[in-house]
Amino acid sequence: MTARSIGADAAPYGRAVVPSVWSRLWSANGPGYLFLLPWFIGFFGLTVGPIVTSFYLSFTNFDLLTPAEWVGFDNYARMFTADPKFAQSMRVTLLFVVFSVPLKLAFALSIALLLNRGMRGLPIYRAIFYLPSLLGASVAIAVLWRQLFAGDGVVNDFLAIFGIQGPSWISNPRTSLWTLIALAVWQFGSPMIIFLAGLRQIPVDLYEAASLDGASKWRIFWKVTLPLLTPVVFFNAIIQTIEGFKSFTPAFIISGGTGNPVNSTLFYTLYLYQEAFAFFRMGYASALAWVLLAIVAIFTGVSFLTSRYWVHYDD
Amino acid sequence: MTTEAPRLTIVTGQVTAGRVARRRVISVVAHVLLIGASILMLYPLLWMLSASFRPEAEIFSSNSLIPSSVSLHGYSSGWFGLSRSFDVFFLNSFIVSILCVIGNLAACSLTAFAFARLEFWGRRFWFALMLGTLMLPYQVVLIPQYVLFLKLGWVNSFLPLVVPKYLAVDAFFIFLMVQFFRGIPRELDEAAMMDGCSPWRIYFKIMLPLSLPVMTTAGIFTFIFTWDDFFAPLIYLNDLKTYTVTLALRTFVDSTAESNWSGLFAMSILSLLPIFVLFLFFQRLLIEGIATTGMKR
Repeated sequence: MTARSIGADAAPYGRAVVPSVWSRLWSANGPGYLFLLPWFIGFFGLTVGPIVTSFYLSFTNFDLLTPAEWVGFDNYARMFTADPKFAQSMRVTLLFVVFSVPLKLAFALSIALLLNRGMRGLPIYRAIFYLPSLLGASVAIAVLWRQLFAGDGVVNDFLAIFGIQGPSWISNPRTSLWTLIALAVWQFGSPMIIFLAGLRQIPVDLYEAASLDGASKWRIFWKVTLPLLTPVVFFNAIIQTIEGFKSFTPAFIISGGTGNPVNSTLFYTLYLYQEAFAFFRMGYASALAWVLLAIVAIFTGVSFLTSRYWVHYDD
Repeated sequence: MTTEAPRLTIVTGQVTAGRVARRRVISVVAHVLLIGASILMLYPLLWMLSASFRPEAEIFSSNSLIPSSVSLHGYSSGWFGLSRSFDVFFLNSFIVSILCVIGNLAACSLTAFAFARLEFWGRRFWFALMLGTLMLPYQVVLIPQYVLFLKLGWVNSFLPLVVPKYLAVDAFFIFLMVQFFRGIPRELDEAAMMDGCSPWRIYFKIMLPLSLPVMTTAGIFTFIFTWDDFFAPLIYLNDLKTYTVTLALRTFVDSTAESNWSGLFAMSILSLLPIFVLFLFFQRLLIEGIATTGMKR
């Protein structure tokens, strides 16, 4: 620019061109970027920046008070070789996900199939089944659950009618995780609604054609309904699995923040919280967070890769 | 069921009559199953509601849903069960939730409008990145965010809970709104553009008024999620007078629960009440919100 504007008459010419380029750039892009401004600040300040920082912190010892100290792969090495609580929290979380997600989806799908028969009172049933999943994440519900499954709780009173003496579900390490799985399954309402919406998308003439060909209800379900519903099953499974990995509040409230008895409800997120905010091992907690991210990413990636073998996409 | 069908038709001698009878049987069975499941689903909630109205001595002695005598003792003892009364906590929760709703609606709709309607360099790229944050576990940004808010002196105030919402961090709602905006006929804003309307006016005078359904859905979900949120208050609020209801309930469990169950249940019921009221009034909108976003992923 400066080189060219040495010529005396070039300056006004250049000045006339440069603003028009800028103004054209501005009118093409300016409004878009202005509208995105809040998002940009949040995206870089609260997402990208923190991601980079936490990746760095995961290779350090950091206690908030003194500057972070670089330790290389120590945090990760300790996690996989010398931390039984890490292994335990991983085991608890995997068990929780492996049992709660399929059970939840099975309930959601069976109730949705029942409701999809054009039942009378569908809106009422749907509302009743949806309510627990709307309320379920609250502290209040975890408080209730703690009582329901206590030694002298409602569940055992109910079992006593049949002469069964139930254990103290919450304080017994063999059953405590199952109370949390039950709580998750109880919230099958939102995947049920998504299943219902999916079932409604299946063209009626497919059913008619199949039943004209003499296919039984059972066969129609396996050969028509389920294949056409696989995209919805896939979606629900992914969402619920990720939610399962991130679950925190129920385990925290029911175990009083400890993950006890005997770490049997030490969810991964709960362990991470303890490391970060009870022991202020922020570096180690960051490493835990990155392992969680890796697990979620690998799970999602593998699901998408395998999906083309079992998820049916038409057209 | 399938083995019964032919016999029925033979007995009645008429295919249609047999089918009708069989359908009726199946329908009755289905209703019985659904009613049984409904009772099972609602029983815990009803039990807690009933327990909150029972005299303390009677809470665990009977599991009947109708208390022998109605007592409001739980509500009064619970309300004043901590060293600050629950009106502080409810007010805090309301302030935080309302501020978050306003922030989310404003920031997410601005972002969504840009992605859905404006042309600019790199739009697809930024949109893909925005979608990428949908799956990101919160834990990955947790600690640096905490350090940031600590350095800003925001810990122990509502700012860490509220300010992020004004920066459109909830990609889910942006996505929801983008989908809705795309459904609004483009002719409307093209005509306005011809008449010299600025993008800002199009957003404000055309898009927002037409987007009432999606804004209501997003607003209600934001309110419920914020009202319910336990993790962020747990980390950022240390002083009892800044506690939200969820945090107060947790303190209640830790401190007085063993001696004041009816108080704990009464406050739990009250904490669920705003969500329940929203559910009653906006049930259809909530259910549609879940169904449509679910389908479009």
